Amino acid sequence: MKKKGFTRYHFLGIFLSAFAIVIAVQMVRIQTSTHAEYLDDWAKDYGYELRTIESERGYIYDRYGHLLAGNKEVYEVGIELQFVRNPATIASTLADVLKLDYQKVFEAAQTEYVPGKQVYITLTDFVQANQVRNLSELKTQYENNNPYGDNPELPSLRGLTWTAHLQRIYPEGNLAANILGFFTYYDREGGAGYFGVEEKYNTLLAGVKRNVMIPLDPYEMQEIPTAPAGASLVLTIDREIQRTVEEILDNAVKNNGAAGGTIIVMNPNNGEIMAMASNPRLDPNAYWENTTVFPAGVPYNKAVNQVYEPGSIFKILTMAAALDAGVVTPETPFTDTGQIEVGGWTIYNWDRGAWGNQNMIGCMQHSLNVCLSWVATQLGPTQFYDYLDRFGIGHRTNIDLAGEEVYPLSVPGDPMWYTVNLATNSFGQGVAVTPVQLLMAASSIANEGQMVAPHVLKSYIQDGQQFDTTPQVVGIPITADTAKTLTDMLAISLEEEASDALVEGYRVAGKTGTAEIAVNGQYSSNKTNASFVGWGPIDDPQFIVFVWLEKPSSSIWGSVVAAPVFRDVVQEIVVLMNLPPDEIRISMKED
Amino acid sequence: MAEPRDRANKRKEKAEKRMRLVQAFKQAPWRIHARYVGLFLLTLVVVLVVASIYLSISGMAANAGLDAYRLDLKRLDLEREIAHRKATLALITSAPAMEERALSMGFEKIAPEDALYLTVPGYTGRGTMVVAPPPGINDSSRQLVRSIYRESLWDWLFTGINSLGSGILGDGS
Repeated sequence: MKKKGFTRYHFLGIFLSAFAIVIAVQMVRIQTSTHAEYLDDWAKDYGYELRTIESERGYIYDRYGHLLAGNKEVYEVGIELQFVRNPATIASTLADVLKLDYQKVFEAAQTEYVPGKQVYITLTDFVQANQVRNLSELKTQYENNNPYGDNPELPSLRGLTWTAHLQRIYPEGNLAANILGFFTYYDREGGAGYFGVEEKYNTLLAGVKRNVMIPLDPYEMQEIPTAPAGASLVLTIDREIQRTVEEILDNAVKNNGAAGGTIIVMNPNNGEIMAMASNPRLDPNAYWENTTVFPAGVPYNKAVNQVYEPGSIFKILTMAAALDAGVVTPETPFTDTGQIEVGGWTIYNWDRGAWGNQNMIGCMQHSLNVCLSWVATQLGPTQFYDYLDRFGIGHRTNIDLAGEEVYPLSVPGDPMWYTVNLATNSFGQGVAVTPVQLLMAASSIANEGQMVAPHVLKSYIQDGQQFDTTPQVVGIPITADTAKTLTDMLAISLEEEASDALVEGYRVAGKTGTAEIAVNGQYSSNKTNASFVGWGPIDDPQFIVFVWLEKPSSSIWGSVVAAPVFRDVVQEIVVLMNLPPDEIRISMKED
Repeated sequence: MAEPRDRANKRKEKAEKRMRLVQAFKQAPWRIHARYVGLFLLTLVVVLVVASIYLSISGMAANAGLDAYRLDLKRLDLEREIAHRKATLALITSAPAMEERALSMGFEKIAPEDALYLTVPGYTGRGTMVVAPPPGINDSSRQLVRSIYRESLWDWLFTGINSLGSGILGDGS
C-alpha cells in the first residue's frame, strides 16, 4: 500500500486554517485591547450629534388672518478655522458686504485651529437672507476660480460658513404693538415675550426647547426627535379697525396736546376687543427702544397697565345702580341748589353753579355732581358699593394681556374710607380704574345687563387643530330693563345736548368724563383726564367705544376733546364693520 | 440435479461480484473527496447567501438611516423657508404697503357718507380666520409611520398568525 505523504493539499489546508486562526485572534485582540477602549470613547464622542431642538415660535394673526407676528430667516455667520485658506479675502468680503470691521475679522480668521478646542468663531448674527445670498455667490465664484483655495495668491472664502435660524418679525410695524408686546429675539438662549399677548401666552407660543442626542450611526437612526411648533394665536383684533383707531388716536393726542391716550373698541355682546390703541407705541421689531419710548412711569398699554380717576364717566354706574335698585326713575325730580353736604364735606358741581329743577336725564346730561351725590346717598353705601362690586370695580377683568393693573376700592369699614367717599365716588373721584375695567362695566349697560369678559384671543391653533375661546358672561349687575332705560337716557342726553359725540345716521348712547388730576394731593383744574364711553346702535349695540385723552392742553373738557374722537371712531368703524345707518338697517330687517 | 445448483452458484457469485463492485465504487477515495467538497460547497453557498442577505438588508437600513437624517435636515430647511415666505408675504400685504399700492393705483378712501349698502341674500358677512379643523374632526395624534415599517419580522409573523387565528376561530361575538 502506497503511503500518502505531505501533499500540497495539506499545506494549503494548514495555511488557510492558520490564516483563519490569526483573523480570529486579531478580532479578539481588537475587542479587548486598550485601543478598543479608546475607540469606544471616540464613538461616544463622535457617534452622536448634540442638537438643540427648538419649536418655531407660534404666529399671531388678526381675526381675518393677517399676520401680526411671524418669523423670518436670518443667519449666523462664522469661521470654521480648519478650512480657512485666505483670511484676507474673508475680512475684506465681510467688511464690504456686512460692513464688519476688517481688522477684527482678519484677526479672527487667522486664529489657530486647535482640534476639539478652537474650531469655530462666530463673527456676527442676524444677517439678512439677501446678504447671505451675496456671500454665497462670491464664495462659489472664488471656489470655481481657486478650487480648495490651494492657490494662496487667489481669493478664497473657504472656512466662511453661515447657519440659518429664525427671528421674530412684526410685519405691520407698530400696529397693535400695545396688544402684541414683543419678543426679545436677540437673546437666542433666553429670549422671552414681554407685555401683551407675547408675555401672556409666552408658554403657548414658545412650544418646547430641548437638547437631544442624534445618533450619527445610520443603524441607530430610527426616529429623530422633533419639536412641534408653538401654538399660533388668532386675535379678536381687526387690523383695519385697529389701524384706523390708532390713526385717530395719534391725531387726537397731537391736535389736543395730550400726554397720551387710549381708545378701545369692543363688541359688547361677546367681549371681543376689535381694537385697542394706546399712545405712545413701540415698533416691536426694535424692542430695545422700549426704555426710550416708555420712560419711567409711562405704561406699555394704557388700556390695561394704568389706572386713573375716571371722573364723570363713572356716573353711568351710579345711575345704573340707582335705577336698578328702584331708588330713582328717569323722571325722578331733583332740585339742584349747586351744593350738597355729605359726611361734613360740601360737594359742588363741575361749574360750581346751581342747575335748578332737573330730572335724572338732566342730571346725566349736565353731569351734575350734586345730583349724583344725592342719588348715591339715596342708594346708601351698602347698596352703592355692592353694585360697584358687581360691576367689577376693584377687581381685575382678567383680560388676556400681561400686566393688568387694579386699584383697590375703598369700602365702608376700610381705614381709608370716609362718608364723603360715597359722594365723591358717585362721580368718579376717589376711585381709580383701568380703561378696560370701565369698559367691561359699561358693557353690561350696552348688553342687556350682561357683563362680558373682555378678551383678545379668538382662537388658538395647536397640533393642527383650532380651538375657539368661549365668550364669558362674568356677571349680570343690572337687569335688561335697567340697561335699556339707562341707554335711552344717555342717548337723549347726548341728543338734547347736541353733543359732538353724535354720529349722523346712527343713534348712540354715551357719557363724557372730565376728571381733575391730583398733583401733590391737590386736584389741579388745568390738568384733566378727558374721556368718553359710548355704544351703538342703541337698539342693537354692536360696538362700545372708550376714549381717554391724558392731560389735553387744547381743552380740559371731555365733551370738547374726547366726544369728537368717539364720533370720528364710530364714523369709520361702522363702514369697516359693514353697519349701515339705522334707517337702512331697520328697513333691511323689515324686508 | 447438478446443473441447477451450478446455475444458482453462478448467480450468487455474480451478485456478490456486483455488490463488491458497488462497494468499491462507493468507497473510492475520489468519491469521498467529492462528497466532502460538495458538503463544503453547500455550506459555503448557504453562508454566502445568508451573508449577502444580511449585507443587503444592512445596506438598505444604513441608507434609510442616512435618508432619514437628510430628510430631517431638509424638513428643517423647508420649515424655515415656509416661515420666511409667510413673513415676506405679510410684509408685502401689510396695511401700509397695501394702502400705498392702492393710492398709487388711483384708489381713494371712501367717505362714510358715500357708502352704499346693499342686501346680498345669503351673505352672512366676512368670516373670521379658520386655518385648522376644530378638535374631533381629525386625529392628528395618529402614527405618521405605518406599523408595517415599525414592526420586526417576528412582530409581523405573530400578528399574521393571530389575525389568521382570529379569522378562523372568529372573535366569539
